[in-house]
Amino acid sequence: MTVLSLFSFHFVALILSLWSSSAFASSDYHEHLLLQPLPQSSLLASFNFRSNTSQQSFDQQHFRYLPRALGQILQHAHTKELHLRFTTGRWDAESWGPRPWNGSKEGGTGVELWAWIDALGDEEAFAKWITLTQSLSGLFCASLNFVDSTRTTRPVVSFEPAGDHSAADQLHLLHGTLPGEVVCTENLTPFLKLLPCKGKAGISSLFDGHKLFDAAWQSMSVDIQPVCSADGECVVQIEQTVDMVLDIDRSKRSRSNPIPRPVPNEQLVCDTSKPYNSDDTCYPLEKTIDKAWSLTEVFGRTLNGVCPLTDFDGSSDQSVCLRVPHEWGVSISEEANEIKKDDGFTRCFKLAPSVPFDISIPQQPVTTEVPLDEPVLHAERTIVGHGQERGGMRIIFGNPSNTSAVDFIYFESLPWFLRPYIHTLHATITGHDGVLREVPASEIVKETYYRPAIDRERGTQLELALSVPAASTVTLTYDFEKAILRYTEYPPDANRGFNVAPAVIRVLDKAHNAPIYIRSTSLLLQLPTPDFSMPYNVIILTSTVIALAFGTIFNILVRRVVSLDEAAALGTQTLKGRILGKLVAIRDRLRGKDTKVE
Amino acid sequence: MTTKTGDQESPQASASQVDQPSVKRAPPPETPAALQTRFRVIAAFWAVIIFLGFPIWWKTTSIYRASLPIEEMVDWADGKACRPVFPLEIHLATPSMQYFEAQHLLRTTQHTLDDLNEFAAHHLRLKLTNGSTTAVHNGEDNLESVKYPTEETADIALTVRLLPQDGLAGPRSELHAATTQLDVFYPPSQVPVPSSSNSPLSAFIAAELQRLYGEEKATIAHILSGNTAGLDSTSPQLAEDIDRRLRRSMKYAETYHLSFSLFTPGSEPSSWDIEAAVNEYVTPLLQAFSPISNFTVDTQVQLYANFAPTAPKPEYDESEAAWTLKKEDLSAFVNAAEWPLNPSIGNGPTINFILYVPDASQSPLVVKENRASSWMVPQWGGVFLLNPPLSNTEQGGPSNPAHLSQDSLGPAFMTFSHQLLTLLGTPSTPASLPLRLQTSIRIRAASLLLSASSTMGSLARLTESLPSIPIPATVATSVSTTLSHLDASCAHLREGRFGAALASARVAETEAERSFFEKSMVGQVYFPDEHKVAVYLPLLGPIGVPLVVGLLKELKRIAARRKVKGAAS
Repeated sequence: MTVLSLFSFHFVALILSLWSSSAFASSDYHEHLLLQPLPQSSLLASFNFRSNTSQQSFDQQHFRYLPRALGQILQHAHTKELHLRFTTGRWDAESWGPRPWNGSKEGGTGVELWAWIDALGDEEAFAKWITLTQSLSGLFCASLNFVDSTRTTRPVVSFEPAGDHSAADQLHLLHGTLPGEVVCTENLTPFLKLLPCKGKAGISSLFDGHKLFDAAWQSMSVDIQPVCSADGECVVQIEQTVDMVLDIDRSKRSRSNPIPRPVPNEQLVCDTSKPYNSDDTCYPLEKTIDKAWSLTEVFGRTLNGVCPLTDFDGSSDQSVCLRVPHEWGVSISEEANEIKKDDGFTRCFKLAPSVPFDISIPQQPVTTEVPLDEPVLHAERTIVGHGQERGGMRIIFGNPSNTSAVDFIYFESLPWFLRPYIHTLHATITGHDGVLREVPASEIVKETYYRPAIDRERGTQLELALSVPAASTVTLTYDFEKAILRYTEYPPDANRGFNVAPAVIRVLDKAHNAPIYIRSTSLLLQLPTPDFSMPYNVIILTSTVIALAFGTIFNILVRRVVSLDEAAALGTQTLKGRILGKLVAIRDRLRGKDTKVE
Repeated sequence: MTTKTGDQESPQASASQVDQPSVKRAPPPETPAALQTRFRVIAAFWAVIIFLGFPIWWKTTSIYRASLPIEEMVDWADGKACRPVFPLEIHLATPSMQYFEAQHLLRTTQHTLDDLNEFAAHHLRLKLTNGSTTAVHNGEDNLESVKYPTEETADIALTVRLLPQDGLAGPRSELHAATTQLDVFYPPSQVPVPSSSNSPLSAFIAAELQRLYGEEKATIAHILSGNTAGLDSTSPQLAEDIDRRLRRSMKYAETYHLSFSLFTPGSEPSSWDIEAAVNEYVTPLLQAFSPISNFTVDTQVQLYANFAPTAPKPEYDESEAAWTLKKEDLSAFVNAAEWPLNPSIGNGPTINFILYVPDASQSPLVVKENRASSWMVPQWGGVFLLNPPLSNTEQGGPSNPAHLSQDSLGPAFMTFSHQLLTLLGTPSTPASLPLRLQTSIRIRAASLLLSASSTMGSLARLTESLPSIPIPATVATSVSTTLSHLDASCAHLREGRFGAALASARVAETEAERSFFEKSMVGQVYFPDEHKVAVYLPLLGPIGVPLVVGLLKELKRIAARRKVKGAAS
């Protein structure tokens, strides 16, 4: 465990050093790609693009690296710091270990946006926030314009500004999520347009929408923040990252033949120790040979040299790094140089400008693996209960550490039609011995910030400061009620359910300066859904009842009451009576004819 | 249904008794009290429907339509409410003339001018000032006076200074490029004598003024009437120029966003001295324009900007030793799908200026027909092809410089400032920029006045032709603001205060647009009638039938009784 964590610390330190070492470097544009094979034949590709613009030229609207469209949106909405995330898929923390960038560059499933807006009051801040979401919606082809007051929260302790802000600004933090948004290629195209090299040169030339959105997990982020050096000189920094976990087998399939084929029998490696092992039954063994792959195969494109805007001095020219053990054989294109780092697992490549670059890893036996860290916290959130009226939320936090407790902030924003009963908040602790202990929630929950929902105006905001003791699992539960919506408030696919935004967990880890973020998966809430022909049924039913009642009363009031024989006499005078009379006459005449013939 | 229920001794009754004799017995006649009760019941039901149900239904389903002064609006659109006139006040400074001489000169010149003028809406009014003070004042504070038009007096369009000069055969004139002053030098001998009705000097001044304002006159005539046919003196060449300029120029707006973009298909040049270039070439021009419109400037650098895949590629011309683009292909030059040329945020249109540096392998790039390196896209912006000197890199092959200095940007920005003037609709003559700006104010005021008026007309027609759209009270307010500002603008024009007229016309135009594009006016139009029937019918069918039948029976009974009464009397 200690060895493992030592290695993992190297990994985090590497990322942090890559991130921070060049934060104040002379050049204004950097890009970096880290490739790391993960267990289960996955490959993590972590792209990072960062550029700076001086505050002065930003204010005067002279845009060079910072995209003009985005810069103008920020100025128009008085936004000082912006964080935008597009995420699909699920990070499998149990097999893949801790998240890239400690989770600080990823969002919940769908779209997540939070920004610090300079405004005089809450209302003004919200008006600017709406301007911001509307404009970003157009820029990124996303439904961000649906972030309204019910989807906007103002987190108190879950987020801290990452940039250096002047004290004169009155900053308001607003946070909005769209858990149901499907992130797709139309979001990648505007994302690429924001890059100075536009996906034509440098590592961004690897982006292919088909591969990116076919990944098991992917997250795109845009962060803009002011960064000031010690001498008071400020720059506006834009950082874009794309992290994805590709399934190597799946990515290597050609596009013309995408159907997976079963492994031929003779290539299966079976566990012969199993009692049922025979010719036709096989328990496949963990593979001992890693798959061969190359950049071109996995991404479907070649890497087109380097983006010429990056500077060619210092460490930032090694824009592509690969984390595999040094013993592994790795072949690269001829013009590039390989530099092996001291940690034993990282090698970086110095690329030649405007020459295609490729890495290929041949099939080889797995002797050593890059060690993966254990995540500091496991979190899982599900909706429990049955029926259309009530339900419950269950959140499970697992602390894998045997020695230290973990403190964190749990932040949830619930839609208004999910009405939680906070008094039902209960906690149970399960230790390693597996014994369940019911404890008062106050023992686990250190602090609570709760802002109740207002129907159709805002959602519930719940922030809890929690502490999970070492080697134990805490389960929080609370009950909620499902509201009944108005007829027009249901979406076209009402029976699919309603998305509930993922919870955000911010781990307060003293060891690392940067906070660790973990996001749960998004949830699907089933609401009582009416039959949508109901209004017409109601109209027709009530109309019938009213008409019946009305007809009865009206007839009683208007009709004349006569005796039975009098009615018969009157009956002959009515239309019905006359028709009957005619019919009788015709019948009689016919009968008369018949009798004559006879 | 046809028989009267109360009428028991009708012939039919006796006839039926023939068919079915014995048992059937007619009921006794209804009492008048019963008849009256039935009448009252039916009347009560119908009273509730008519006096309660119907008004409630009417009230709850009607749409609010504020009353608009339709006639007045149509009058504005038809040009009946205001006939814009442009009386230009021109000051005549005669420092070295006797008062009566000057008076006489003024009279004869005015007379000649009036004879020459063929467009009544635009006329020049001469006025005598006492000598140098006004001229100096006018020369210095010209821009100020445009910026802050005084409420009382008319704007001074031009000051003509008459200066005697010896040794001249005839009068000659000199227009100051930076002020609104025209110096006329004349031989002292040509001072007109009071007895003569005509003099070469006054004829010269009149002709000179006529020449100065010829283009403006033609432009305003074109705007007001749609063509220049009314003016004989306008040459077809000038008319065509004016027509083209009006088609090219942007619609008037309070704020324009200027966006300067450097596009290059490769990675170099990736930086430019844009701040210095903007300060040197663009800012002075924008300051001069500040009385008319506001401007914001933004710039960007975009690398790897390729042509659209469908756009025709440049061809190499051996004879010219240059890559050429055909003139008809220039419209496909800007790759609107990929180049980030989205309009700036905020109100007002964006004017785009594109500085395109071709790839080193396609340099120099020019237009095939005339070797030009720049062109304008009407109502959108301008493009300049910059072919910087290539340098050879150590890898071999020429390459573009990494940085564009201010000097190399000079020609491009000169072109951009010319294009900007054209896009803003500034006339090409006379030479003095302040005069052209003044002309531009008058042209803008005229076109705004017309456009706001025609918007009013369209709004009037729209509300008349669509009776189902709601008209909120805000629209009525906007309309009345527009009309009052149109009135004010027209009055200002009549009195020669063009700056104030433009300000009023601006407000009128904004309000007119706001009222026309009011969102809530298009709300309820698409509520289909089938839905209404589907909702009303289940209720109104079963209730309506007994009610209507009851009413009909009752009416028939009353009519029959009347007949009986009439027959009896």
